[in-house]
Amino acid sequence: MLSKRELARYERQILIPGWSKSGQEKLKKAKVLVAGAGGLGSAILTYLAVAGVGRIKIIDGDKVELSNLNRQVLHSDKDIGRNKVDSAKEKLEALNLDIKVEAIKETITEDNVFELVEDYPIVDAMDNLPTRFLLNRAALRSNLPLFHGAVYGFEGRVTTIIPGKTSCLRCLYQGVLPGKIPVVGVTPAVIGCIQATEVIKYFLGIGELLTDRLLIYDGLSMKFSEVGLKKDPNCCECK
Amino acid sequence: MDVTIKISSLFRRFTNGQEFVKVTGNNPIECLHELEARFPKMKRWLYDKQGNLRPQVWFFVNGQKISADDLTKPMNDGDELFFLLAISGG
Repeated sequence: MLSKRELARYERQILIPGWSKSGQEKLKKAKVLVAGAGGLGSAILTYLAVAGVGRIKIIDGDKVELSNLNRQVLHSDKDIGRNKVDSAKEKLEALNLDIKVEAIKETITEDNVFELVEDYPIVDAMDNLPTRFLLNRAALRSNLPLFHGAVYGFEGRVTTIIPGKTSCLRCLYQGVLPGKIPVVGVTPAVIGCIQATEVIKYFLGIGELLTDRLLIYDGLSMKFSEVGLKKDPNCCECK
Repeated sequence: MDVTIKISSLFRRFTNGQEFVKVTGNNPIECLHELEARFPKMKRWLYDKQGNLRPQVWFFVNGQKISADDLTKPMNDGDELFFLLAISGG
């Protein structure tokens, strides 16, 4: 049941065709894991929180650094040195008192990924491929959706993985170039918002997900384009 | 075959900002070679030190991802080839 306060808070989105009070109830009962409270995570977490996703679990093993602040908008100068998950939880709870936020300061490893993920749909807001692969494995073996996003400079990509139905991250990635990744805040903001949109649509059961579709954002030419993905018959994870 | 190569933003600095480059080639790898011949500075991003095509480069023909096995498969006149570098920032 939505309280009067919740009905008022979410009044404008409840008006969206296909949403209604029943959709808002679905969001309230939903839970999601956001792996990473950085550039992507800042946008994802913010918009899932204000949309009213009832339970949000944040996992990040890092502390806030000055070089994060051009893009990780959940954190500010006064948070430098703090655990990112604690800084994020504080900001999200200030945005929306009506949701539950769980902050877990952990680095995701092969040994703990299944325990950390449990049965939560997974939003991939990571910044490295090995951990993304661990989340991919957890998603496949636990039959959980994986909402993937990645950025570089002014470019970003998004796809949604549904185990058993779509290709997986291993079908797509065979490595990335090493080195520091250049990024400006607006890029993870755009991509993170698209990932959050996918999550909301998934829970509401509306619209079309980016399944076996890779959405490509090019901020320099300000164009979106899309390509089709397919399972790799030789994939070591999902074949 | 006359093929249009779509250049992603990460590679556009090597093609003088051109987003589309027309080439002639029978298959994706021939098309790529013609592109590299015209814009050799991109080779460093496409190939490793041993001269092997990096597995981080993704290819798409007419909007669909193709595998390494498809790089030598024939293309048709008017096809579009697109390649992307795998990225992982967050």
